[in-house]
Order: sequence, then C-alpha cells, then structure tokens
Amino acid sequence: MVSAPPRRFRFNRATVEARAGESILAALGRRGWPSLVRSVRYHRPRGPFCGVGNCTGCLVRVNGLPNVRACQRPAQDGDRVRTENAWPSARFDLLGALDLLLPHGVDTVHGLRRPSWAAPLYQRVGRALAGFGHAPDRAATVPTGPPRSRSAAITIVGSGRSGRAVAERLVRAGERPVLIDRRAATGRDGPTAVDGAELLAGTTATFLSPDGADGGRGFTLLGVDRDGAGVLVRTRTIVVATGGYDGPLLFEGSDRPGVVTADLALSDHGLPLGETVVVGGGMRARDVVARLGEDVGAVVALSEIAPELVRTAADLGVPLYPRSRVVRSVGRAHVRGVEVARRDGGGSFRLSCRTVVLAHRRLPNAQLAFQAGARRRWWDVPGAYYPEVDAAGRTTVPGVVAVGTAAVPAGRPGPPPEQAVVGILEPASAPASPLPATGPPSELLPYYRELLREPRHGKWVVCPCEDVLLHELEAAVARGYRGLELGMRYTGVGTGLCQGRYCLPDATVLLAILEGREPPEVGFVTQRPPLVPTSLAALASLRDELDPEAGR
Amino acid sequence: MTLGRGDYRAVVVGAGIMGLYTAHHLARAGAGPLLVVDRGRLSAGGSGRNGGGVRQQWETRSTIRLAREAVAAYRRFDREFGHNLWFRQGGYLFLASDPSELERLQRVRDAGRAEGLPVRLLGTDEVEALVDGIAPGACVGGCYLASDGTLYPYPAVWGLYEAVRALGVEVALGTEALGVRRGDRGEVVELQTSSGPVRTPTVVNAAGGWSGELSRRCGLDVPNVATRHEILATEPMKAFLDPMLVRVSDGLYVSQSMRGELVGGLTVPHPPGTDAGVPSSPRFVTAMAHALVGLLPRAAGLGVLRAWAGFYDDTPDGFPVIGEDPRLPGFVHANGFGGHGFMLAPSASRRVAATVLREPVDLDPREFSPGRFLGAGAAPSSERLQLG
Repeated sequence: MVSAPPRRFRFNRATVEARAGESILAALGRRGWPSLVRSVRYHRPRGPFCGVGNCTGCLVRVNGLPNVRACQRPAQDGDRVRTENAWPSARFDLLGALDLLLPHGVDTVHGLRRPSWAAPLYQRVGRALAGFGHAPDRAATVPTGPPRSRSAAITIVGSGRSGRAVAERLVRAGERPVLIDRRAATGRDGPTAVDGAELLAGTTATFLSPDGADGGRGFTLLGVDRDGAGVLVRTRTIVVATGGYDGPLLFEGSDRPGVVTADLALSDHGLPLGETVVVGGGMRARDVVARLGEDVGAVVALSEIAPELVRTAADLGVPLYPRSRVVRSVGRAHVRGVEVARRDGGGSFRLSCRTVVLAHRRLPNAQLAFQAGARRRWWDVPGAYYPEVDAAGRTTVPGVVAVGTAAVPAGRPGPPPEQAVVGILEPASAPASPLPATGPPSELLPYYRELLREPRHGKWVVCPCEDVLLHELEAAVARGYRGLELGMRYTGVGTGLCQGRYCLPDATVLLAILEGREPPEVGFVTQRPPLVPTSLAALASLRDELDPEAGR
Repeated sequence: MTLGRGDYRAVVVGAGIMGLYTAHHLARAGAGPLLVVDRGRLSAGGSGRNGGGVRQQWETRSTIRLAREAVAAYRRFDREFGHNLWFRQGGYLFLASDPSELERLQRVRDAGRAEGLPVRLLGTDEVEALVDGIAPGACVGGCYLASDGTLYPYPAVWGLYEAVRALGVEVALGTEALGVRRGDRGEVVELQTSSGPVRTPTVVNAAGGWSGELSRRCGLDVPNVATRHEILATEPMKAFLDPMLVRVSDGLYVSQSMRGELVGGLTVPHPPGTDAGVPSSPRFVTAMAHALVGLLPRAAGLGVLRAWAGFYDDTPDGFPVIGEDPRLPGFVHANGFGGHGFMLAPSASRRVAATVLREPVDLDPREFSPGRFLGAGAAPSSERLQLG
C-alpha cells in the first residue's frame, strides 16, 4: 500500500500536518495535548473529554463554520481551523478572568439586577458572552451532498457486536435489513459489513419519529452522513443497537483538561495521555489498563475491584486503590495530579499524573428509543435510564426493539440476538412482561451523598457544556422546583450541545438525594430531537422528500 | 394531593402565565381565598413551550392597546417579581414577500401609528442593513417596531408562582379540573377536580391549549381549537441577529435568544388535537430548516439543537375570549389567545380579574366576549396577524 501524502492545515497561525483520514484532533494531538476551547460561561479551560463526538471539549471553527468537533472531522488539505470562545488563545484567554472574578458563578435568574441603571449593560455584556462560536461566515461553504432516501422493512442502528449479531440472524431468516453506523467505513474502528445486509457507514441517525408513515405504522428516521448530506430512511421496524458511552463522575475539578473518558483513551485519536490514573473497578477499566500499560500510575475504584482487573494490574505492577475516591484534580489549565482518599476515612494522598481516565460506568445510547416514545426504566448501576424491554428486546413502542448495551447494562442478562429476531419479526400482540431491572446497588448514590454533605471549594461543574454548577441544582430544590424537568429549566442543566449525555444521569441522582427521593421519582427530561446537532442545510435538503407538495 | 380549604372566592384553572397573572391581580385586590389548579407541573404547557416573542404590532386597536400595556409590565417585571426575564427589545421586523403583503403591513403601520407607536415601514436596503446576511431579494419591504422584543418565559412563571404563593394563593399542581357543578340558577357552585371537589362561585378557564376541552367538560360548546405548533432551536452563537424576523407569507419567525440560539417556528398544517405524545415531527423540522436557510443563508451551517411542540388555542376570529360565559354564570374565560397568550398576559389577565371582581372592563364585547360566538353579534373586525 502506498501511503497517501500528508494533509496540511492551518490551526490558528500554525501549519499542522495530518495523515490521511486522521481527525483534526489526532493531528493536533501529535504536537502535545490540544487546548482548543474555553467553557461557554466562565471561560474555564476545557479539553477533549470524550473523543466520540458527544462533548464540547474539542469544538473548533473550521473554514468559517462554528462548533465543529475536532474529533469527528477528518483533517483536509487547506482547512482553516481556529480556536473558539478564547482570545488570544485557548491556553491563555483574557476572559478566563471571569472564572476568577466570579468564584461562585453568576445567578442569571435573580442576580444582575442592581443597580437598576446597569441592567441594559448586563444585557449587552451577557449577550456578547453567550455562545461558543461566532455565526458562520457569510461566504462559508456548508459541506453537503444530495439527500439520500430509502425504505426498509427493518433498520438496525449501530453495527457493533449486538447489531451485527441481529443482522446476521435476520439475513438467515430471509430478511434484508439496513445497518446504519456513525463510524466511517475506513479506519481501525470502522464498521464491518454483514453479508446480505446493506450498510450505511458514516451515517449518524439523529431523529426517529413514529409519524405513522407506511399506512399508520412505521417510522421516519432522519440522519446525516459524513459529507453533510441528509439521510432519510422510512422503516417498518427499528432496532436500537447503539451501544453505550463512558459516563462522567463529579469531583472538585472534574471539568479540568486531562480528565477524559475511557472512550477517548481507547479511541484511535492517539492523544498523549502520559501518566494516567484510571477510575473504575470493572472490565472497562481493565480494558483501559491493558491498552495504556506502563503509563497507568494507579487504579482508583469507588467500591471493590474485579479480579480480572486485579490480575491485569498485578502483571503491570499498577497499584490499586479500592473503596476510594478522587477528592479533587490538581493543576491549573491541565491535570497535574489527583488527590485520592479512602472512602471509609483516613487522610487523602496525592498521585501525580497528566490524565485521569473515567472508566467506572457505561451509559446507554438509547436516545432514539426515547425519541420514539419508549417507556424508561431506571437502573441503579450504572445510574441511568434504559428503555423498558421484554426478553425479545421489544420496547413499549411496537416496532422499536432495543438490544445490547443500549437495552440493558453491560454484564446484565439482556435480550439474546436469537430472541431479538423474534421480537423484530413478531411484534407483540399484547404488552409483554418487561425484564426486571435488578442488579447490584448503586455505588454512585452513596458517593454523591458523601459529597453533598462535605464543604466544597471552587466551582463544581455538573454540566460542562453550559457551566451549570452543583449549587445551582441545590438552589433550585431549595426554592421548591423539584424534579428533573423543572431543574433543567431552572438551571439549564442538560440543555447544552451534548444533549445532556454528560450531566442528566448524574443530575438525576443528585436531585434525588437533594429532594429525598429515589432517582426514578425525580423523573426524566423528554428526549427532544435531534440526537446530535444536525445542520440546517442537511435537514433543509430533506424537505421535499417529506412533503412532495412543498417544492411546487 | 388534598386541597386545603373548603371554599374559594375563585378557582383558576391553569398555572401558566395567564392563570398566575390573573391570580396575582385577584390576590393583590384582596379578593379572598384563591386556588390555582393545574394538571401538570409548572411550565408544562404553552408557557414553557413558546418562543418568548412580545410584540405590539397588530391590525386592531384593541389588541395593540393590550400589547402596549403588556410590554410596559414586562419591562417592570424583573424589579417587581425578582426574576430576570432578560427582556431584550431588539424589535420585531415583519417581512413582506410581495406588494399585497406590503399593503397589509402598511395597515399594521397605520394602526400602530394611530396608537402612538413609532412603527416604520422599511425598504429592502433598510432591511438588509438591519439583518446581517439576509438573502438578497428575500423581501420587498418590512414593518418594524424597535420596542418589540423577546424574553425568557420560564422566569416569568417562577416569579409569578412565588409571588402568588407569598400572597396566600394556594397552587395545586398535578390536579386536573374535571367539570363544574351548577346551582339552582344554573350558576357555578363547585369545581370537580382529580383531587376532589372544591366549592367556589367562580372558575377561571386559563387552561391554554386545553381550555376548549375544559369548557366542553363543563357543558359549554365553544369554538376554541387546539392547534399543534412546533419550534426548533439551533446551537448557540455569538449575537448576530437583533430583531425577531417574521415572514408574512408562510409565518416563518426566528429570533436569537440571549443564550445565542436561533429560536423559531413556521406555520405547518397539523390535524387538530391535544395529543402531546409526539414531541416533534420530521416534516416540521425539515420545512423549518428549508425556510430558515432560504431567509438567512449563512445559518445553513448551524446545527439544530432541539425541537419541540406545543398547542395554540385558536378562535375563529383571532381574538381571545375574555369574559363570563352567559350560559354558565361564574365561569370566566381567559383563553383563545392563538399562540399569543404569553405576550398579552399581563394586560389581558387584568381584564379577567376585573370580570371576576365585577368591575368595569374596557374591552369591546364584540371582540372579546364569549357571547360573540353565540350569534349575539359578530366582531366588527378580526385580528388576522396571527404570526410569530
């Protein structure tokens, strides 16, 4: 194979080389840890966190278009990449002074009213500070292509292990399902095709609607492909096999650059992690330790540590700290270490590191099922809502089936593929009995109970996209605004660009503790489409497909 | 939930902006024990789903007067209720796509000027100067009033909720109104709710999109129709769009919120009904995206962050319904605002409260009374500027 010539792009004033197919983030990572953006409200330093296109830690402006996720965008020759929401640079940002001047944040609901003559000034300043990026350049070209539209009897979203297993069995049963996967067809992590099934690689499904197409049954699925073109799939049955993502953990300084999820550590962006502390005691943490090897300085787990991880760590000589917690991250614009303490008492001690990898819990990507109206069920471990499914993966919405770790937490018995095929081909005539949500007790609930009792210093950022602070949740509850729906409206938690992926599960647990209720009693936020920000251009291109009259 | 007292001077159905404002006026007037019931939580209905637009440009004098008073009230709101609405008076700009629409906007301008509002007609060059990046040839002219604007709806609900409770008003959330019991003379004596009956001589129907259903539960045939309406918001951007834009031809409207999101909607036909189970539709999202990109091409690269739906409470003539129902003494309407309840609430609710208190009301009954649909005399005009 002949290696392709390197791409050259501009990052602010520097010229950066990238290998073919490599993400902008990966290319920038070879020059050292990339500082790309400041947080939206207080201009706190933020870094790449998830590496899978969910978070707001690597937003950049590319060719005049704002809020492009550097981890999802392959570097192209001649790209002009710029920092957003920071001046003169993300590393040194003058407005970072806001973070120091407002140590307890700012109360935009009740504050900023005195003196009254200053109200118009507050409004002008507030308006100028809002948003990550500037509006698109007028001359910017929006990458898009002709819309693609197709119909399918069965559409499987996600071609990971579960999605492919279901697809193979459906093909054997004489079906020809369409497989959709957001990963590009190329690259180490690319999806593999299934013989007899059609694969739409590089396609992100963003909006599933039970709109009664297909004679009152069936679904409309909107998405966008890697070229920015709109994708429309009309389908009778939808299989949600979208897997999961690594969840967050709240501690002092948990939003500091260098705190990342296992998704990023295991991705092929190849960021220079350096000496690493891994948080988590299960199989995901073991995967991280096995991958990072000698770089792992310690493993910290809220409760016990799984025997497999103990063995892997012993082989590498990595010290283990079970029943312990990260008290805080240490450093300024980047992690330089963590303070760790045993949860049953005793003093804290410091571990120096450059990276903290969160590998303590996998959360489900079940949002499509919720968009379609599937009933939810709270699982204490990992502390998240899953769709309620029966033994064949049927959700409460006829025609929507969930499998794999989008249906039940990893390690719990879920719908096996051969049963899911039954669920797909034979929609239930009567409501089936749901699988019980039984498992170990939550380790998050007692941990957050401890946190909420302790004195706190600095800003505790519950929602990194919108800089929502823990004490703002407390204030909402104290004023009588109970439940997640009101908490979201009162504080803004869950309204950012990650669509609540990295704050709503924990906000549910925190509100439950603050309100003296169980997490499911706090409720949930309606899953409002789309799943990821989807360009107006891509959506606009699909109008005539959905309303043939409109174009005339 | 059990309801505390046995008897109330008035029970308001709907803890949205209209119901809470009405309760506030009544409590301030010392009306007596008051109860507000709502079947959902705060901000679950239209008051939590609207786009936050507040304008004074209308076709009829009566609506303009209500709107002016409302704008003055929202300007005071932060100081009065201790909650910031971030009411930004960036103006409303109506856009005409052809000469006949421009003629219509001339009438809007004339109506506003007659009431002393400095409404201006703008030529295309003035529109282009005001709206950075508007598509060339997108309009033949516009109609603009700088003191119109947008606000955050939620803090208005919270501020009123806290204020009425401080004044002793009971607010029962999660309590659904089921119907009324009539007395010997056919008048309201009791409201039946999912938490049990409550005795009251006055029921105020401020149930927004569900008000038609409530009236019908109380045995009243009303013409209110609940119409689905959808909105979308883009990812937040630094400020670049000052006025709210409203296109007359298709009802497209869009503004930039204080958080920087473009927020807007479009008139897309939907079958009537109040089934809120489907939050948003692909048909709306794609039609709205198409319209928005057509008007503001530079927005094409912006991502849609979320979309949601709510209900307009529409009436045949476009005027709201404010007043006691002649068929059911003690039943007071505060509904039919056709998607503009939030922007008219401070002033409209004052008339509702006056009706309850049997004080004089300065509204033309031909335009606002519930009796106008009973053949008693149709409205001399109609308010058709039901956009944005």
